Amino acid sequence: MRNQLVLLGCFAAFVGCSTPPANGRFVQLALPDRASFGPVAELLDVRCGSLDCHGTVARNLRLFGSAGLRWSANDRPLVPLCDTQTEVDQDYESVVGLEPEVLDAVVAAGGANAERLTVVRKARGTEAHKGGKIWAAGDSSDTCLTSWLASSASASACADGLQSVLLNGFSNPLIQCAAQP
Amino acid sequence: MTLARAMVLSATLATLVCDPVYDDALTALGPEAPGVRRGPLHRPGQPCLLCHDGAIGDPQRFTVAGTVYETPGALSPAVGATVALLDANAVAPFTLFTNNAGNFYATPSQYDPTFPIRVTVTGPNGQKALMQTLIEGNGQVAPNGACASCHFDPSGRNSPGHVCVTLDDGGAPP
Repeated sequence: MRNQLVLLGCFAAFVGCSTPPANGRFVQLALPDRASFGPVAELLDVRCGSLDCHGTVARNLRLFGSAGLRWSANDRPLVPLCDTQTEVDQDYESVVGLEPEVLDAVVAAGGANAERLTVVRKARGTEAHKGGKIWAAGDSSDTCLTSWLASSASASACADGLQSVLLNGFSNPLIQCAAQP
Repeated sequence: MTLARAMVLSATLATLVCDPVYDDALTALGPEAPGVRRGPLHRPGQPCLLCHDGAIGDPQRFTVAGTVYETPGALSPAVGATVALLDANAVAPFTLFTNNAGNFYATPSQYDPTFPIRVTVTGPNGQKALMQTLIEGNGQVAPNGACASCHFDPSGRNSPGHVCVTLDDGGAPP
């Protein structure tokens, strides 16, 4: 029995320490829409990318934008007011690179079962998340994200999601940023 | 066997107690300013919730705390400023006032908000500064709730600078 346990321990250590093959590559064939990502980036920036949350380089999901960490050393939070194109591009890479295989499967399925993605589950609070539940399944913010995964982001859902939480609702200037193409 | 158990227990406790990131952040705060006693007027502009976190041996927990200054270019406190906090469930804001150091704070018994929080600061002369973004984190991302965890000097790509009610030219902060 003891020998079996030792063997089992060795096997577990071997499996645990093994690495993927050096030539192992996964090519994402199905990628979410880049063109309509701007409003999603704005939503993620405001709701997730504050400076003490995902707006810091210490996070795996690293978000840049006007409401948090800026990409350019010359920019400041809210100056300029809206996300720059570089920041939107960086956020796209951050989100797409989190779980490439799962994202590929979700996008290929037209966004079906989007909760397979950690980013969806954490925002909904159905997976452990230090920032807690950010939004609920099916609400405007969730629809903003899942519509983007399905085909093209619903800019109106993204704006609705933002106005529901931001000070002064639709008068908040960040809403105008979300409405930009 | 008892010795082994004691060693394991010690190692576990040491792991739980020692947090080098927290320790470094605390060290970076430095000592108390000369002539200022611990209390409501101490350490303006510092991330209050770093110490006021309710941990055993630490000072009383705050849920929200910070310092308001008059302008971005100087460290003159905005004495008597109003800080209106609107949490996720509120229809009316919870209001705090800054003291002679520009400090304000709320304990859990006074205010235990549901995040995210929206903030409006009104200066002693009626100047109004709206925080366009949100305080997120659900109170779990320490020291979330402390203004200075994001609003620190110098301003840069990762900080808007200290909280103020007017710009140096008299305009409203973004």
